[in-house]
Amino acid sequence: MTPLALLSGSPRRVAGVAGAVAAALVLLALPGLVNPYLLFQACLVMVTATAGLGLVLIMGWSGQIALSQAGFLGVGAYATTYLVAQGWAWPLAAVTAGLVAALFGVLIGLPATRLRGFYLAIATLAFAELMIRVFVEATPVTGGIAGTAVQAVVLPGIDVDGSRWYLCLAVAAVTTAVVMRIGRVGLGRRLRVVRDAEIAAPSLGVSPMRTKLLAFALSAFIGGIAGALYAQCLSYLTPEIFDMGLLIEFLVIAFLGGVGYVAGPFLGAVVVVVLRDLLQDLGSWQRLVYGLILALAIAFLPRGLASLPARLRARRPAPPAPEPPPVSGQADLTGAAR
Amino acid sequence: MNALELSGIAVRFGGNEVLKGVDLAVGTGFTGLIGPNGAGKTTVFNVVTGYVRPVAGSVRIAGEPVRAGRPAVVARRGVRRTFQTPRLVAELSVEANVLAGLDAGLPPGGGLADFLGVSRGARTARERARELLDAFGLAARAAEPAGNLPLGSQKIVEVVRALAPRPRIVLLDEPAAGLSAADVDRMVAPLAEIGERDELSILIIEHDLELVSRLCPRVAALHFGRILADGTPAEVLAHPDVVKAYLGAGVATVDS
Repeated sequence: MTPLALLSGSPRRVAGVAGAVAAALVLLALPGLVNPYLLFQACLVMVTATAGLGLVLIMGWSGQIALSQAGFLGVGAYATTYLVAQGWAWPLAAVTAGLVAALFGVLIGLPATRLRGFYLAIATLAFAELMIRVFVEATPVTGGIAGTAVQAVVLPGIDVDGSRWYLCLAVAAVTTAVVMRIGRVGLGRRLRVVRDAEIAAPSLGVSPMRTKLLAFALSAFIGGIAGALYAQCLSYLTPEIFDMGLLIEFLVIAFLGGVGYVAGPFLGAVVVVVLRDLLQDLGSWQRLVYGLILALAIAFLPRGLASLPARLRARRPAPPAPEPPPVSGQADLTGAAR
Repeated sequence: MNALELSGIAVRFGGNEVLKGVDLAVGTGFTGLIGPNGAGKTTVFNVVTGYVRPVAGSVRIAGEPVRAGRPAVVARRGVRRTFQTPRLVAELSVEANVLAGLDAGLPPGGGLADFLGVSRGARTARERARELLDAFGLAARAAEPAGNLPLGSQKIVEVVRALAPRPRIVLLDEPAAGLSAADVDRMVAPLAEIGERDELSILIIEHDLELVSRLCPRVAALHFGRILADGTPAEVLAHPDVVKAYLGAGVATVDS
């Protein structure tokens, strides 16, 4: 499509395209626009949102309550750091780390296909806690409690801060595009069929178990890649980074941002990163604030901030009332030819 | 050869014998399955589609035995069904809901081609979905979220989803229940036409006996897990056991 053809669209479409181009330009120019501290916060937003995109697949679309994402981030962070230290190129190390996380995703997914709701939440939570233990014990790879240093990726001709930003931006952009596409093709349909009509899924030739396993693998892969990025932001990895605190931030993303929509994790990530910055002196009081936010979000915004535009649009014209079921179907055929 | 053959099917839930040796052969065209509530009609569907494992008996599709307990495999062998309450994905468009019925038909590895937008199967699937939605008068609402449609239209969408992959056998569970007269016509006319053209075997559970008589040249009546009568609608509805089952002694009631 030529730029002219784009401009010939409706005014709303033109405005949308113009907005997207402007946003892309601002993001690309960001290292020159803001100070290194804000740029670092922006990196954290991209990393957190990328991890949240994994939650869109597993919690938003396939409807499985998965509290394991912090664990997958840890797997990705440690695996990338270890492989880079062995002399691997970062992109290869990050993808491999994603695959390792996906393998863990299938492992946690196997029992998960037999559990639902509360029980699934507990099982995935147990996995995340178990991973902390693994990070503490697997000293040769993770450095144990003492931790391990992360080698920073530096792109040619760009400083460390700028390199980190472009890495985060590129991965977040690609992940967003992939997840959006998944939402529109057969896999996205199957995930939602399993969520909303699990009983009907087999009658469509769709195996709920395989679909759930695929969702776990994909969301863990994305979590692993996000972990590889997170390591770049942290520069030093210790096991407790991936504990309950990180999990609660993902819950804020899921419930406040909204994981039914691709935009949700980005909105949630901005809130989480800003809050983390504001609340860092509060110590354990942080959790209280997060808890309050979660409770309020669940009570008043069950589908998250990202659902607001659709809800506001739905409020204006009254929704079509569902047809009342007729009292009896018997009268239906009185005029029918026999 | 019959498209579908049940012989000696017995199903027990705990101590409750739901089916006690059901024999039923379904050929091309419409076959009605009637009976009071609790007779075991939906259980027959669940056995055929592999959802429920019978304790005895066998199911054959086009002469070949079906392994129980593998509903997704049964569906891929050309057996599709609807449910009493439509089970659609409310947030997905009507068209996407129909496409969900076609996803299993894509070739292995089709997922990647589909993701990249180069799948020929996905393109034919979209054409098929549009063609059917058009035939059932739903083309104008194809892009709307399925949850916005009234119940009657949702039930029609479910029928379209079942027909989409060109199955050999279609099982419809109370398709007309809760539908307006107009909706029943909108569903039945194209269904009969497609059924005849594609030589489908359609087994239909329905309480609306007038509809059953009109649509099905053959009817089987089920009562307390046994086939009471099997023949033309006139024969079956006049059968003394059937009359007794429907009217008899307050044991069963006709409608819900």
